Amino acid sequence: MSKKSLLIMPEMCSGCRACQVACKNWNQLPAEKTSMKGDFSHPPDLSGTTFNRIRFAEMPTEKDKFRWLFVSQRCMHCEDAGCMKICPTPGALYRTQDGGVATNKEKCIGCHLCLAGCPFNVPRYGADGKMAKCTMCADRIENNMLPACAKTCHTQAISFGDRDSMLAKARKMGYSKVYGQNELGGLGVMFAFKDAPKVYGYDENPSINEMVILWHKYLKPMSWFGIGGVAIASALHYFAVGPHKAEAPKEDKKEEVKQDEAK
Amino acid sequence: MTNHYVDLKNAKAFLIEGSNCAENHPMSLRWIMKAKEKGAVIIHVDPRFTRTSKLADIYACIRPGTDIAFLGGMINYILEHHLYDETYVKQNTNCYFLLKPEFKFEEGVFSGYQEGKFKYDNSSWGYQLDPQTKKPLKAKSLDDPNCVFAQLKKFYSRYTLQTASEITGIPVDTIKLIADTLVKNRPGTIMYALGITQHTTGVQNIRSFGILQQLLGNMGKAGTGVNALRGEPNVQGSTDFALLFNYLPGYLSYPNHDQQTLKDWTKSSGTFRAKFLVNLLKAWFGPNATPENDFGYGWIAKKNKGKNYSIFRIFETAVEGKMKMLYVMGQNPMVTSPNLNLVHKGLSNLEMLVVADPFMTETAAFWEKPGCDPKTINTEVIFLPAASFLEKQGTKSNSGRLVQWCYTKINPPGEAKTDLEMVDLLFNRIRKLYAGSALEKDQVFKKVVWNYPKENMYETVLQEINGYNLKTGEHLKGIGEIQPDGSTSTGNWVYAGCYANAKNLTKRRDNKTDPSGLGMFPGFAWSWPGNMKVLYNRASCDEKGQPLDKERPLIWWDQAQKKWVGFDTPDVPVATDGPDTPNGQKPFRMSGEGVSRLIAAPYKDFDPKNMDLPRDSSSTPADGPMPEHYEPVESPTANKLHPKVASNPCLKYPRLKADQPIGKHSEFPYVLTTSGIAEHWCCGAFTRNVPWLNEISPETYVEIPEQLATKFRIRNGSKVKVWSARGEVVVPAMVTKRLRPLKINGEEVFIIWMPYSWGFKGLSQAASTNLITIDAGDPNTWIQETKACLVNLARA
Repeated sequence: MSKKSLLIMPEMCSGCRACQVACKNWNQLPAEKTSMKGDFSHPPDLSGTTFNRIRFAEMPTEKDKFRWLFVSQRCMHCEDAGCMKICPTPGALYRTQDGGVATNKEKCIGCHLCLAGCPFNVPRYGADGKMAKCTMCADRIENNMLPACAKTCHTQAISFGDRDSMLAKARKMGYSKVYGQNELGGLGVMFAFKDAPKVYGYDENPSINEMVILWHKYLKPMSWFGIGGVAIASALHYFAVGPHKAEAPKEDKKEEVKQDEAK
Repeated sequence: MTNHYVDLKNAKAFLIEGSNCAENHPMSLRWIMKAKEKGAVIIHVDPRFTRTSKLADIYACIRPGTDIAFLGGMINYILEHHLYDETYVKQNTNCYFLLKPEFKFEEGVFSGYQEGKFKYDNSSWGYQLDPQTKKPLKAKSLDDPNCVFAQLKKFYSRYTLQTASEITGIPVDTIKLIADTLVKNRPGTIMYALGITQHTTGVQNIRSFGILQQLLGNMGKAGTGVNALRGEPNVQGSTDFALLFNYLPGYLSYPNHDQQTLKDWTKSSGTFRAKFLVNLLKAWFGPNATPENDFGYGWIAKKNKGKNYSIFRIFETAVEGKMKMLYVMGQNPMVTSPNLNLVHKGLSNLEMLVVADPFMTETAAFWEKPGCDPKTINTEVIFLPAASFLEKQGTKSNSGRLVQWCYTKINPPGEAKTDLEMVDLLFNRIRKLYAGSALEKDQVFKKVVWNYPKENMYETVLQEINGYNLKTGEHLKGIGEIQPDGSTSTGNWVYAGCYANAKNLTKRRDNKTDPSGLGMFPGFAWSWPGNMKVLYNRASCDEKGQPLDKERPLIWWDQAQKKWVGFDTPDVPVATDGPDTPNGQKPFRMSGEGVSRLIAAPYKDFDPKNMDLPRDSSSTPADGPMPEHYEPVESPTANKLHPKVASNPCLKYPRLKADQPIGKHSEFPYVLTTSGIAEHWCCGAFTRNVPWLNEISPETYVEIPEQLATKFRIRNGSKVKVWSARGEVVVPAMVTKRLRPLKINGEEVFIIWMPYSWGFKGLSQAASTNLITIDAGDPNTWIQETKACLVNLARA
């Protein structure tokens, strides 16, 4: 099956946030309690129950004028996925047949390493300590439906389809460069930016933390041999992310790892 | 809308003024963005840089309540520089018609002003008429000083770009740029919403659009028009069916006390509309309506001509103790009406209040208003649980007049009933109570035909609306079959044909077939009138009846078939009357003149065969035949054009002195404008009970420009007290670059903005903005001036 992608055009976005509500609706995620802090960006961050959000930014430009940007924040579904590389548990993060990065909660051990692996600061964790993020609506795509956000976007600021057709669409709209065409081996979520990515809050050259590459190349294979992997993972986590604050259910972790060993 | 939503994709220019369509009509964006992809220019004129401005190519920040000055500046610029479509204007408007020489406009008032009565005697505004035919006399050239066009030019000559700029705060260059852009990019469309209507000059704001579009030749064609984006999914349907107090269904004038017979009514409204009234009476009274008894016209209650029956007067008469009982359905005035303290006082003074709603609204629970002691209120309140929009079937008419059947998705919970069930039960009970009455005033309850079968109630009502040939019992196929003699009936003449050949056409869903390629989809649901998509489409053709825009043809005269044909239903009086007949040259046949009216002169059109009763009567706004700029009741500046006549001279405010104080600029230095937002809908009764929507828009707030915030040391999110002469609220601040000070008549004016969708009930509760807004109203429609009032603010 050919690789599919989302194409997001912030200039077309009206900031209605129907994509946020559609995502919560499809994934049956509870609403977060928010309060007015003088900004439209609600909720204030991605979370275990918020997989996509629009950031609103008032940008001063030339004299007297300004720009108001609405930028989608969500998992970018990298081809060269840092989260998959660092994840110590095979199958907790997996590549869908359409090219997205999906999660399997049954297998996630809640080690939070994926946050260190992600160049876009996307992974967040639910009350169960497990990673939760956008799956590119793998369950919808399998059934020939558009991802919930793309389906609901009435301005077509978010569109979805074969990667080539998405690139062609961006070109047709006058975008010679598409953010995500080549970055990290190609992102599953591509942006058509009018200006430099940093104006929109995106890294010019996103890259995976070197520690993650080190882990992926040399240490991860070893982890499969035993529980020691978890210890190394924890150590690495300590260096890369900092001390683990939330209490992860240790019993579960052991079980998960044992299951993997059985395979 | 003169056009329709999908037609927006055909426009090359958009003037979006007084509308934040990106937030409040998001689906319109689908078509606007399609036009934008093809290179269309989007212009947004609004006091606040909104999510719509973000998508626009040109944004102009306008002071609230000055649209007439801005549009006047553009109209004058177009007239002065001969940028108008002369051929179109000559063919389609009343430009040549001669006005009476006594017509005047001086010092801010038109001739005929009746001092102290807040109204005009408009007899001097009329045309010079041929004594025999009573038709208007026409000038030989547009230079004749008494002709409409010359008078229009003279009137608008005061609106120089400089004057327009000083009143509105929009730079001269920007006004000029917008005018030039509209001239260069045709077809062009105008979209507006409550930002235009909610003013004491609401009707005249829209009249300005009409004049501008006529001059540009932007009417009756694809991608053009004056397009009202209605505020609710079925508000178009509501107004079609006489939600407004001064109409009967189908926009027939509501009878006054000085029109006791059908003939009296016809004298003012004309025989063309009397035919439709007869059919309405036949639909209501069935066999009881006969030519001998005036078709039961006498049974309809007449309204007092001198009285105002608008929503304002409902609460005011309650305050005055004259209204005892109020039944509220589909509305939550305790959030949406202005000057809420007065609304609350009125509700508290009722003997009984009935509220039918899916949610316990602020109106239903008005005695829970913060600071109110329920012990002091004697009103008995009855709450009727109503089915929501998902729990009932029936039609919805959208802004583009598209009437779509909607199905019941889930059954209403518990004892909740649909509106129709409630009205049906109520009417049958009331009829029983009146059964023994011999009084003449109660006859209406006995004579009305009311027998809707339980199993098919909704479609039976639609069939009655469509109407019948009473001889054959067949459904009417269209307006053309309506007869004046009582042999047909229709509950709303503009809907005749929606249920033709025993088929409910509003259920059609062909979204594939579009022979025009212009997005008309004639097989998708049904549009009134007669499935017409673009009103006045005769104006899309030249005098010979051939399309002016070859890329976007709508209709044309087919000489071989000897009739008007095309992709749309031709908007002509008779389909077989060609361009060489008088009927073939009536591009705006719904006006008495048959052409559009640059100046809205009072006029009654007579048929040569019947010189006793007029055929049709053109409507004239109460406050003038042309739009003049008047300041809002609470204004931060003097009226630059005529300081002695600052606000609309037809405006009576305050109506109740004690409850309607007017704030002075010295005490209330800032302009407040209010509106809806994307995330919450109207009063918020529905949306504030949806946690997902409360998550993205958790509470009310006030947008404050950075410069003002700095002055008061207000930070983002900090609490701010905002108060007017009428009330106060405390809400969090949103400090923004999107609002900015304007230079008005040489002085700096600050505008702040608040959404109005909150109240003290539901899952998300916050102060109602309408506690501080003003309840002055447009003298034609009595819509509230919630877009402009004066306030003060401080850190709370």
